Amino acid sequence: MARARSRIAGVISVFGELLITAGVLMGLFVVYSLWWTNVLADREADKQGNEVRDHWAASGPGALDTKDGIGFLHVPAMKNGEVLVKKGTDPATLNNGVAGYYTEPVKSALPADKQGNFTLAAHRDGHGAKFHNIHKLKNGDAIVFETKDTWYVYKVYKTLPETSKYNVDVLKPVPKESGRTKPGRYITLTTCTPMYTSDYRFIVWGELERMEKVDAERTPPAELAAQ
Amino acid sequence: MYGWIWRHLPGNAWMRALISLVLVLAVVYVLFQYVFPWAEPLLPFNDVTVDGQ
Repeated sequence: MARARSRIAGVISVFGELLITAGVLMGLFVVYSLWWTNVLADREADKQGNEVRDHWAASGPGALDTKDGIGFLHVPAMKNGEVLVKKGTDPATLNNGVAGYYTEPVKSALPADKQGNFTLAAHRDGHGAKFHNIHKLKNGDAIVFETKDTWYVYKVYKTLPETSKYNVDVLKPVPKESGRTKPGRYITLTTCTPMYTSDYRFIVWGELERMEKVDAERTPPAELAAQ
Repeated sequence: MYGWIWRHLPGNAWMRALISLVLVLAVVYVLFQYVFPWAEPLLPFNDVTVDGQ
């Protein structure tokens, strides 16, 4: 009788330890997702960003090189500094703390194109969390894209706080859902929402307001001067 | 389970505590370096793109 009871107690105690272990594992996974991936991604993004800037400084005018990254996104309202933009939106690219422009399902235009939609994706949490504060963007806020020789200044005109992840129409060259019907030079930011999950997508649309040539000191446009 | 590990570690209590700490750190390292990067894409927390699939 006593032996049977102690065996039951042993089984219960192992079961309890397994539960505690599972809890600790999940806690560690949260630490990994929300902290450690940011450490790794920010380190990698800094390195790649510096490479692009070195490359710009070393080479004269020439064809756009899309391999290293095409430029930097500055969104003062998101308070996240500059975000390197690279080609493609596959996880291996985005996990390095950069934003990617879409190559599929709808191919993105580039800012230099005469018309089209420059469509970007980046992480909301973890892996640099470059679009974490996307919900802070309001109509009229500036989105500035910096290339080797041009500042493209966009203004936000529409935000869509929640849409299906299957809604690829938001990436169309003329994003009708934003209310625009004519071809123009648009920018679209996409990320996941609500925070810490990816049930839906958060969309922000902007339209090109003006362009500025980059001068010798790379003086930023007025929108970024307050930073 | 953990009691069994503790009883099978060599040395006095301090030695065992030290070895336990090293073991815990090793487990955390393996998790962060190999297990979590593998598990993450399988979990639905971090898809940020819109796509047709």
